Amino acid sequence: MPRTSRFEGRLLIAPLTAFLIALLGFPLVLDIIYSVSRVGFENIRAPELIGFSNYAKAVADPEFWAAAWFSLRFGLIVAVIQVVAGLGLAVFLAPLFAKRPWLIAFLMLPMMVAPALVGLMYRLILHEFVGAVPYYLLEWYGDFPAFLGRDWAFTTLVTIETLQWTPFALLILHSSYAAVSPDIREAASLDGARGRRLFLNIDLPLMMPAIGITFFLRFIDSFRVFDNLYTLVGPGAGGSTTSMSIYIYQAFFKVGDIGLAVAASMLLLAASFVVLWVINGLTARKAPL
Amino acid sequence: MRKLLVNALRWLVFAAAVIILNFPVIATLVTSLKSEAEIMTNASLIIEAPTLDNYAAVFAMADRFDILHFLTNSLVASLIGSVLAIFLAFPAAYAMARFGVGRSWLLPLAVNLRAVPLIIFAIPIYLMYQQVGLLDTRFGLALILCLVNVPLVLVLFASSIADLPLEIEEAGRVDGAGTLRLLIYVVAPMSLNVIAASSVLAFIYSWNEFLFGLMLTTNNATPVSVGASFFFAASGGGVRWGVAAAVMILATLPPLVLGLLMYRQIGRSMTAGAVKG
Repeated sequence: MPRTSRFEGRLLIAPLTAFLIALLGFPLVLDIIYSVSRVGFENIRAPELIGFSNYAKAVADPEFWAAAWFSLRFGLIVAVIQVVAGLGLAVFLAPLFAKRPWLIAFLMLPMMVAPALVGLMYRLILHEFVGAVPYYLLEWYGDFPAFLGRDWAFTTLVTIETLQWTPFALLILHSSYAAVSPDIREAASLDGARGRRLFLNIDLPLMMPAIGITFFLRFIDSFRVFDNLYTLVGPGAGGSTTSMSIYIYQAFFKVGDIGLAVAASMLLLAASFVVLWVINGLTARKAPL
Repeated sequence: MRKLLVNALRWLVFAAAVIILNFPVIATLVTSLKSEAEIMTNASLIIEAPTLDNYAAVFAMADRFDILHFLTNSLVASLIGSVLAIFLAFPAAYAMARFGVGRSWLLPLAVNLRAVPLIIFAIPIYLMYQQVGLLDTRFGLALILCLVNVPLVLVLFASSIADLPLEIEEAGRVDGAGTLRLLIYVVAPMSLNVIAASSVLAFIYSWNEFLFGLMLTTNNATPVSVGASFFFAASGGGVRWGVAAAVMILATLPPLVLGLLMYRQIGRSMTAGAVKG
């Protein structure tokens, strides 16, 4: 490549690179320094290095592990449910979408609503006096559970997250299903494969990369859940609904322990790298859709 | 006969899915159209006497809860954030696709950034903003919204530019056009579709962002996603549910309308962004 075009290329990526260094690189360095320092708002410019005691504090905090366990369990459960529900809907409704693609717009709408507002909306519709959900449950079953109480909060949150983001899984899996070549299906059906067997032996294996990607994307997004949890329950239900993001937010804003919050952030970053490592390993080998 | 039954079942499942998945919005919309008295006596989805009083009430309480201020903040910050993301990512994506510059590190960095919980950067950004006076400013929020959107926008641009035919650019070069000129007069017009779709998607994501709005603003620049939650705090125990519902609907309307109008482009971008990312 000629030298000038390399130079021009560097000029073209310079603004973005500078932006990322300013808003990610610099904060990351601050994160690292603060995580090994004794630091409060009073000595924010001159933190005192103290080694790894912030990390030790985070790791010794049962609430840290409770939050990590919540996020992990929440992320895994909702990702599995969303992939299964999205796949089921995508395959079963495929003939409708093939003729009338605009139908899918109505199923995509939940994704356009801010998760924070979804949390607020559920405060309204789960409310025991004015909420539509308790109203109909009472009408049909004569009773309704304490949705945000200790026993039910987790199930309620899983349901809310699933209802908002199954459309995302549906969308990706629908386009992956639609991309399976009709020739392959035809060849398989000539060999006698029909219905369920055609799906299990032909479609499903071909869709596997898309299923994997969808699963990881949904897991990552749900693992870092913050908005709807914050607006619906905060750290409510006796701390049983504290995700990692909420834990870090509270350590910083409520407790004011910058060192602990930042150390927890770095541990979360390390955990993200593990997930990324797995995803990158999988996508490197993924077959083209 | 069996085919007809299966088809009917498909429509039934579709209708049920639409209602169940959109239930929060439907129920909130219904509540926003009921009078306060009716809300207390009738929690069903049937409205006996529809009214727009709650919407009038939202705008009448500007001294305590200024929804127009929150909506304007969201609009301004989201617009600046999305446009900035496009302006930063488009030339960079071109450089990656055509000159190979940064393809080995910038693109993977951006793609992986989507998987990192941004709360990790939130605290130092808060402290940084505090030092430089960007806390509680629309521009400060816009910079963060840009950061949130850059990964997706960059991936979409990089793959779409790589698919463009090289011949037209080469012809332009023969005619003496420089890289910047080519980018503005040749590549950008050919990419209008993906630029439009990415802008809309970036705008919706910006509008819906919450965490940074909550952390980096107090009032001046508070976006409506955060502002709406203030309504509950401001009302204390005696929440006026009809007015609250109207607030939520007003805050949700812009992305919802954009989503309906541009569903095809958004759907394509989302799947491309997800699969290629």
